[in-house]
Amino acid sequence: MNGLELIALTPVLILVLGGTALLMAGAWYRQPDPLLAGGISVALAAGLSALLLTPPVQEIAGLFSSTPYARFFTLFWSLSAALMLVISVRYVKERSLPAGEYVSLVLFATAGMALLSSATSLIGIFLGLEAFTLAFYILIACNRHCDLSAEAGLKYLVMGAVATGFMAFGIALIYACSGSFHLPEALQGLAAAGALRPWGLLGWGMLLVAIGFKISLVPFHLWTPDVYQGAPTPVVSLLATGSKGAVAAALIGLFASGPSGWTDMTSLLWLLSALTMLVGALCALPQTNIKRLLAYSSVVHMGTLLIGLLCQTSDGLAASVFYVTVYCIASLGSFAIITSMADGTSEPTDLEQWRGLGYRHPVRCGVLTVLLLSLAGMPPTAGFMAKFAIFHASIQADFIGLALVGILASLISFAFYLKVIMVMFMTDETAPACHPGTTLEHSVLAICTGAVLLFGLFPGLLFDLIGSILP
Amino acid sequence: MASILFYILGFVMLAATLLCVTCRNPVHAVIYLVKGFFALALMFYLLGAPLIAAWEVIVYVGAIMVLFLFIIMVLELAPREQPQEPGWQRWVPGLLLAASIMICTLLIIFQDPSAASHGPNHFVGPREFGEALFGKYALAVEVVSFQLLFAAVGAYYLGRYQPRRRNEEDQT
Repeated sequence: MNGLELIALTPVLILVLGGTALLMAGAWYRQPDPLLAGGISVALAAGLSALLLTPPVQEIAGLFSSTPYARFFTLFWSLSAALMLVISVRYVKERSLPAGEYVSLVLFATAGMALLSSATSLIGIFLGLEAFTLAFYILIACNRHCDLSAEAGLKYLVMGAVATGFMAFGIALIYACSGSFHLPEALQGLAAAGALRPWGLLGWGMLLVAIGFKISLVPFHLWTPDVYQGAPTPVVSLLATGSKGAVAAALIGLFASGPSGWTDMTSLLWLLSALTMLVGALCALPQTNIKRLLAYSSVVHMGTLLIGLLCQTSDGLAASVFYVTVYCIASLGSFAIITSMADGTSEPTDLEQWRGLGYRHPVRCGVLTVLLLSLAGMPPTAGFMAKFAIFHASIQADFIGLALVGILASLISFAFYLKVIMVMFMTDETAPACHPGTTLEHSVLAICTGAVLLFGLFPGLLFDLIGSILP
Repeated sequence: MASILFYILGFVMLAATLLCVTCRNPVHAVIYLVKGFFALALMFYLLGAPLIAAWEVIVYVGAIMVLFLFIIMVLELAPREQPQEPGWQRWVPGLLLAASIMICTLLIIFQDPSAASHGPNHFVGPREFGEALFGKYALAVEVVSFQLLFAAVGAYYLGRYQPRRRNEEDQT
């Protein structure tokens, strides 16, 4: 490892060392405000260094890279973490969560996401994935006054441990088959493996199972609603965006680095994607808890994302990156609204508590409407462009059946997104007023809504950027 | 020779872990797991990684499983009642596994099968291992060490007795 590689690691170093420093500071100074402010500035500094400072290096110690693609996602996760910490300020104070531990864990999780998005080796993928999963085990359970939080933490821990086992076994099989941890060689080795090829394919399948657990594809999605319901809402806002998005980014990188190994898996991925979209959409319909509903919505989105990957064309991959970005912005904003309505003891999660809330809090409910319409895929928002790009790419790559399933799932999704909007605006005003929210929280909402509308009206801005960074 | 030992050890390991999972008595389960780890250590030795084999015994068997036993003792999970019969049958699987591990160990000691077949350069010594770990994979080691740090932080925070005390202190 030389000096250039060290400079290329600056964003991760800032996140990890800043997190450790804040952890130490939290041992002496218990005031949450300065610690959270420190965390926000560390995340922003990491984002800035990814944007301005980092030289493009192809290989950092043979594990990671700082290609423009990796830098884009490092910047994006750092900004997400900063926004997530901004909405946590009041939440952490009112629930008396441990600010030092909370901030440092969020920053470490962000470092893990950045590493995962930039991994060029199976070891890098494993390390990045484990880094943020480990932080989330603790963050999900960090509200010790809430039993649901502990239950969610335990469920995530058990599921995560199973997924880790699958991943380690899969990586071992891939190594046995191809003789390399480095992704391009590992994929090429699979093509030229001969007698060991079935074992290599089994290894990739097990890797896919582990990834399926993390981004909750359908047979492995059962933890998602329970964990989202029980975990503290700001943590969910990062869990739904950063953790899923980083795994998706790594998956896109896997597909981009060598499509030859994936042709055997096309039918499997086809089935996973179709099942994920349909089951996710159908399970979301009867939900009455908005956090569970958004959990199932995230399941549907990950299924739709797989379509773009399956195409294995540059259009499909670009559409997938666009889709991940837009999904993360809208999802972060939705959970930010729930956080901003939470007071010291409770938060409106049951749909009964949202009845007629549109008349009491017109601005925030209007913003939630825009974000939900983006998740559903209505035209003026970025969600429409994202879905359009995915379906366009899939039809061009001859996956017409899958595109039809995706459009069907999107139509079903409209029902549950519109249900929330109807409850907010078209019922009697029976719900009690919620917390008015602070200026900081409102500014996060403004950023998310602005981005959703901007990329919806001018999608070319983001598409041009993605076209130039894709590996 | 080495491949025969490999398959025997593999069978022993599978049997031991299977018994560990199906066994109802937690102390017995720990003993079976220890046997599985011993078999795994021998397997690592056969693959030319004596350092990993030693660590498998020292860290997993010596430290982690003893810790498990302590936890079972402290939480009083072990069944209190004495077995009704003398029950020599329940000794049989454990003894068989232990005997086969013992025989394999003796075979490896007295006629080192992997050294004979692969030559002296096959074994990865501590120096080579350390150079790879802290040279090529230094970054990975750093990432793992940070993971362990945050795991310790989380375990301390989540496992702390009486979480409300600190908040009350802050308020007073």
